[in-house]
Formats: sequence, C-alpha cells, structure tokens
Amino acid sequence: MRRLRGRSLWPAAALAAALVALPLVGNDFLAYQVALFLIYGIATQGVALCWGRLGFLPLGHALFFGLGAYLAGGTAKAGVAQPLWWLAFPLALLLPALLAWVVARLVFARRMRSGPYFSLITLAMTMLGFLAAQQWTGLTGGFNGMGDIPEPPGLERFSTLYWLVAAAAVASTAALGVLVGRPLGVLWRAIAQNEERLQLFGYATDRIKANAYALSALLAAGAGALFATHQGIVTPQAMSFVLATEFVIWAAVGGKASPLGALLGAVIVGYASAELRDHFATWEVFVGLLFIAVVRFLPEGLSGLAGMKVLRAARPRLAPVPAPPARAPRQVPALVYDNVRSSQGGVRILDGLSFRLEGPGIRAVIGPNGAGKTSAFNVLTGHLPVIGGRILAGGRDVTGQAAWRVARMGVGRKLQVPSVFAELTVRENLCVALWAGRLNAPAALRNAPHAWHTPLLDEMLGCFPELAASLDEPAGRLSQGHRQALEFVMTVLPEPHLLLLDEPCAGLSPAETHQMIQVIQRAVRRLNAAALLIEHDLAAVAALQGEVYVFHQGRMLAQGSLQAMQADVAVRAVYAGARK
Amino acid sequence: MTMDGGTLLHSLNLVYELATLALTTLGLAVVFGLLGVMNMAHGEFVMIGAYSVVAVQQWGLPTIAAFPLAIAVCAALGWVVERWLIRPLYRRPFDTLLATWALAMLMRKVVEAIWGKGFRNVDNALTVAVPIGDTSYPAYRLGLIALAIVLLAALSFWYRRSSAGLRVRAMTGNPILAQALGIDTQRLASRTFVVGVVFAGAAGVMLAPLIRVEPGIGVDYLLDGFFVLVVGGLGTLGGFAGGVGVIGGSQALVSSIAGQTSGYAVVLIISILFLWLKPDGIFSRR
Repeated sequence: MRRLRGRSLWPAAALAAALVALPLVGNDFLAYQVALFLIYGIATQGVALCWGRLGFLPLGHALFFGLGAYLAGGTAKAGVAQPLWWLAFPLALLLPALLAWVVARLVFARRMRSGPYFSLITLAMTMLGFLAAQQWTGLTGGFNGMGDIPEPPGLERFSTLYWLVAAAAVASTAALGVLVGRPLGVLWRAIAQNEERLQLFGYATDRIKANAYALSALLAAGAGALFATHQGIVTPQAMSFVLATEFVIWAAVGGKASPLGALLGAVIVGYASAELRDHFATWEVFVGLLFIAVVRFLPEGLSGLAGMKVLRAARPRLAPVPAPPARAPRQVPALVYDNVRSSQGGVRILDGLSFRLEGPGIRAVIGPNGAGKTSAFNVLTGHLPVIGGRILAGGRDVTGQAAWRVARMGVGRKLQVPSVFAELTVRENLCVALWAGRLNAPAALRNAPHAWHTPLLDEMLGCFPELAASLDEPAGRLSQGHRQALEFVMTVLPEPHLLLLDEPCAGLSPAETHQMIQVIQRAVRRLNAAALLIEHDLAAVAALQGEVYVFHQGRMLAQGSLQAMQADVAVRAVYAGARK
Repeated sequence: MTMDGGTLLHSLNLVYELATLALTTLGLAVVFGLLGVMNMAHGEFVMIGAYSVVAVQQWGLPTIAAFPLAIAVCAALGWVVERWLIRPLYRRPFDTLLATWALAMLMRKVVEAIWGKGFRNVDNALTVAVPIGDTSYPAYRLGLIALAIVLLAALSFWYRRSSAGLRVRAMTGNPILAQALGIDTQRLASRTFVVGVVFAGAAGVMLAPLIRVEPGIGVDYLLDGFFVLVVGGLGTLGGFAGGVGVIGGSQALVSSIAGQTSGYAVVLIISILFLWLKPDGIFSRR
C-alpha cells in the first residue's frame, strides 16, 4: 500500500521539492510571479482532468475561475468589517462547483455524445458571465474590477502567500495523481473510450461526468480564490474567453493526461509568455505555432514526450480479496415485449414484436438480415426509440429507459461488434465489469477494488486461458476472437440474470465457436440466468439446445424447438425465399 | 442615427443586420455544415478579408482590388491549412477544433505583428444615400443586402442542382461510399474548405468599410456564426435562414429595446438553450 502511494505521488513530491527550492534559488519576487502561474496551473489541471481523462473539453473554465475569484474577493472584503464572513469562504469554492454540477447534469442527462455541444455551452456561459461581471458594477466593480481585496489573515502577499499557493498546487497534483489510479480514475478513462459500453454495465455515466466536471470546477474556483488574494483585484478578465482559451492551450501543451504536465504547461508557457512578450514582438506567433505543432503531432503534450504519464501497468499485485455481492436482482427478470414498434429515418424496424420470456435457459434468436434481432435488443437498452407498444422487465415498464437503468435490473448485454475499452488493460476491463453494481462511492476512491475477485471471474479465466495470459496487455491488442471472449466475460461478471448476447460467435473459428458455446452454457447455468442469443450459424444454435425464436420483418414469426422450426412452413419460406 | 425614417428605416436596419450575419456565416455553414469541421479560425478569415482592404488602401490601390487579394490569400491559406492541419485530424473533432483555434490565434498574432493591435477605419467611397419612400438609406448597405440574397440563392442552387453539389452531398452523407463510387473525397473536401474560407474572406472585404477593423474581431463572427448554425441546423437553406432570423432578429430586437449588451446576452441564452435542448436545430424532429 505504501509503495503504491509512492508511485502515484512522485510527481507531487518532485513538484514540492522544486517549489521549496524556488524562493531559495531565486528571490521573493520571482516566487510571487511564479505563484500567479501556479494558480492558473491549478485551474488548468481542472481542464486537463475533463479533457485528458474523461474526454470532453470544457472550453469555458474561466467562468468558474472568475466566480471563485469574485466570491472569494467579496467574502474577504466583507470579512474585514465582520470576521464572521470568513465562515462563508468555503462557499466561494462550493457554489461554482455546484453550478458546474447542475449544468453538467442537465446537459449530459439529455444525450450521451454531447461532446462538442457541451464545449460550446460552457463557452457561451463564460461569455455570459463576462457580460454579467462587466454590467453588475455594484457587485463586481464592473470594468475597473473589484479592488482592495485583503490578504488572508496571517499571510503577506509578496512573501508568505507563495507558500499557500505552492501547497495548494502540490496538494491538487497529489490528489489528482492518486485519484487517477483509483477505481474512479479507471472509470474516467473508460468513459473517454467507450461510454456506451459502460452504460450497458449499469454505470450512470452522466453522473460520473457531472461529478468530475464539478471537481474540475472546484479546482478552478479554488484557483480563482487564490488569484483574488494574490492579485488583490479581480477584473472581468478573470472570467474571460481569453483566459478560458489559455487554460486549454496550457493543458494541451503541458499534457492533458498528466496533472503535473498541465500545471507545468501553465507555469512554463504562461511565465515565459509574460516575460518574453515584451522583448520579442513575434513571441506570440511562436506560441501559436507551438500550440499547432502540439495539437498536430503531440496529442499527449510535452509531458507525453517526456514520458511523464502516470504509470498504470506498473501497479503492484494486491492479494485477491472476495468482491462484495452484486446488487443486481437475484432472479431472472421476466421479459415481456408487447406489440413493440420502432422505426428510424422512416424505415419500420420493429413492427409489433411480441414475446414473453420467463425462467432460466438459453433462447436462440434467428432470422434473416433485417429481421430486427439486434433492434429488439436496442429498444430494450435505449438505443432505439420505441414508437408503440411497451417492454416490461421484472414486471416494470422499462420502455424508453436509459441503458444503465435497464442494466441495473439485471440485464447484461454483449454487443454485435465486440466492444471493450481498447486502451485499458485486460485486467482493468475485467475490473470495470466486476465493479458494476458492486462499487459504491467510498470504494471507488480506494485501491482495494483492484484486487476484487469472484468465483465466476476465476472460473471464466479458467475457461479462457488466453485471456488469463494477457491480463496486462491493452485490450485493443487482442485478436477478434479474444475480444469476443473478453466482452463475454465482462458481460457476465456483474452477474446479470438476463443476458442479451448478440452474435457472440461471430468471427470465431469452429473450434473457438465450440468453446464459446460451452462457456456460455456454463455461465448461464452457473448464474441460473436466462439468455437471448442471436446467432446465424444453425450448427451453433443446435448445440445450444434451447428454444428458438424466429424473427422476420420486425415480428416474431415462430418459436419452438429447432427441429420444429426447421419443419415450420413459414420459417422455411423465409429462409428458402418462397413467396410469403 | 435619427429615428426619422420610422418603421421603414427600422426594417431596413433589421434586414441589413440579418444580411451581414448571413454573409459572415455563409462560409462557416459550408465548412461546418458540409465537412463537419468546427473551424474556429472562421472569424479570422473574415478578419483577413477586412485587413486586405486596409492593405490595398495603404498601397494606394483602388479598394476593389481587395477582393482578388482577399480571395487569393484566403484560398492559398485555406488550401494549406486543409492539407496540413485539418486533413490529418478528420474524425477527431476536439483536435480539429483546437488546431483551428491555434490557427486563429496565429492569424491574429501575425496581423497584430504587421498592423498593430489598434483598430483602423477604412475609407469608404460609396457613401451615397439612396432615397426610399420618405427616407434614405446608404447605397452600400443596400448593395450588401442584395449581394447576400444573391449569394445565398446561388449557393443553394449550386448545392441542390449542380453535379458538384451532388458529389458534396454524397461525401457528407457517406464519405466511404462516395469514395467507392469514384469521388475523390480528399480533393472535394479540400475545395469545399477553400470555398468556405474564401466566402469568409469576401465577407470581410465587404464589411470592412462598416466596422472597426482590428485583429480581435474574428471571435464575434465565429460565435454568431456557430449560434446561427446551431439554431438553424446544418445543411439546409431554410434552417440557415431560420437561424439567421432567430439570432439576428432577437439580437436586433432586444438591442433596440434594452441595449447592446442585453441583446448579446439574449443571443447567448438562446444559443445555450438550443445547444442543450435542440442541438440539431430548429427544424429537427427530435
């Protein structure tokens, strides 16, 4: 455990050493100047958290920086007259974070891939904030700014305040460094890579994103509060489009995936700009060129070049501990499709699909291309709109519910094209699946869940020794067959009692198909679950030995044993191409 | 401006505002709407257009020479940018956004290095006013309105009827299939981008006599343009006109009642609501 902390903390430790040395090597004035860019660097870390970890770009982080600065400045000024006001100081950090959380919840809850739209919303909000800061002269001092902000009690602006700023920078670097290695950090990266897959495990990704955005706003607001005391004055520039732009540039140049890189990006580029701007007329042209070069050639920024990325594969082995029980319901949720209709772009996809599934066992779904097999899954997991009829799972109407809500009712889904988190290791992929329904908020911040094991996980790894042999490989390097195996294992790890398996044998060799079918049967028996399995290969369907559903033109054509289906006139007509 | 013209003057002003908004947004509609490239440097191409007027007047050339200059500069720059900056980044929307943003910064800084940060007014030879009814209106503005209408109609006609328009639509709809059908999508994308930024530059030339020309003007054109496209949705003339109407109209209306700042604030709020609730535009069915 101690060794582990040491690994994620070395960037912060190195930073601490450098920041202690700075005033000794240089002088107080240098320290004062650098402190300003350390402050900007903390806000930049917030931008880098959202962008480098979760994959959405906040274009308007100056809003929270400025809000934090104005609120902290106002509170500090009020505190001079009435010291009780200092009690309200934490609100200067918490209110901007709350605003960020509310905005992100509202936006992310509406649609999953709101990426660039979200960026533009944050940008527009910052411009609105800038207008407000300029207009509400009574509150903000308008264009001239809010001046005469006192120093924090016991600190002197040009000497000791540096230590507060340095401590804050070290603290945020350390905290972020630790967080990205924890289960929450793994989930953040998983969101950036494949949010849809994560939702199918039952993670409310919009909430995880909103919380992360609130955390990044908290960092920005904290930096803003430091800015107010450091500068003694806050002008609308602290909430401007330009500053928001600079946060993004610093994060890109320094390295959006690394907390220390983002901080140093702000300190080095920012400080160098402030120093060199006046000496070289072309300095800013140079910064522009540097920025273009980084975006084009160095997606991980300068820290990626320096290999400063947080070490992840090097995580030391923890002794396996049993995982807590899954929260998914313990019995098969009865699944009822009642005259379900769906269409997209004017094409009727499901045309009154009805069936009823109760009790454990495997059902194979067959039908020609376009029969609506995958679409039947898609309407259940919220990927296709339902325009008529309803779907019940476990007696509850789940029509049009979000994927993660359906997943939490004990529905697991494997996608047609094997869908894994390509840049996470196989081990991390398995962890993400295992954590589904088991990881609560405190556990997400601890290391222990990395060592969680369940009997099912051990059994599945026993069935797929090739996965067990490549636990520390990135999942993106696996072959198609191994990816199929990995996604199947991931699908069963949360122990759902209804499995939707979309062509789990596609792209597999006959031997692999045979192996996969056996593992599926084994897992389904083990979980006492029901499975709906889409399959084109009738030999595989025969091997499954379950009931067969035949779909055609968005409806259930027939159901029964495979022999009965092969004898069925209507089914034969569909497959043999007779007139229908 | 006096209030003497009454309603007619007001409506002419409104039409003029909408026409300028349409002119400056047209290039972005081509680049963002057809290629899906969030060109954050769009406003800077408008700015370059405006500065080419400054340049030709400095060199003592007739103002009309700014057109070929702006077109040449924007086309060359657009071609280079598409080839070396944007083409490698298709399908990486955030990176395209950042790369063009960096480009915008670079363009601003270069212009600042040449002409300085201060603003410049350019001379306008066409200050004649045309009498309309019982009021009169600057001929230049009327010409601008007419030009905006003609350009919109021509672009829409080209997009709907010409074979090049068909190819562009094929490329937008399904680039891989378009390639399989023998359409050189790379070249087409390059040309589309160049056409888009040339539109922006030409708009800058036309607006130069009416605005304060300074290096930082691009941002406003960019944001207004994005807001128009967000409200209007992409790829249809009706949506474009709707977006121009909503954004330009509400800005003009609120500005005249409650001042410029409130007008701008209302545009921001409308845009946030659209981005949040109807990101596919006013006519989308979702």
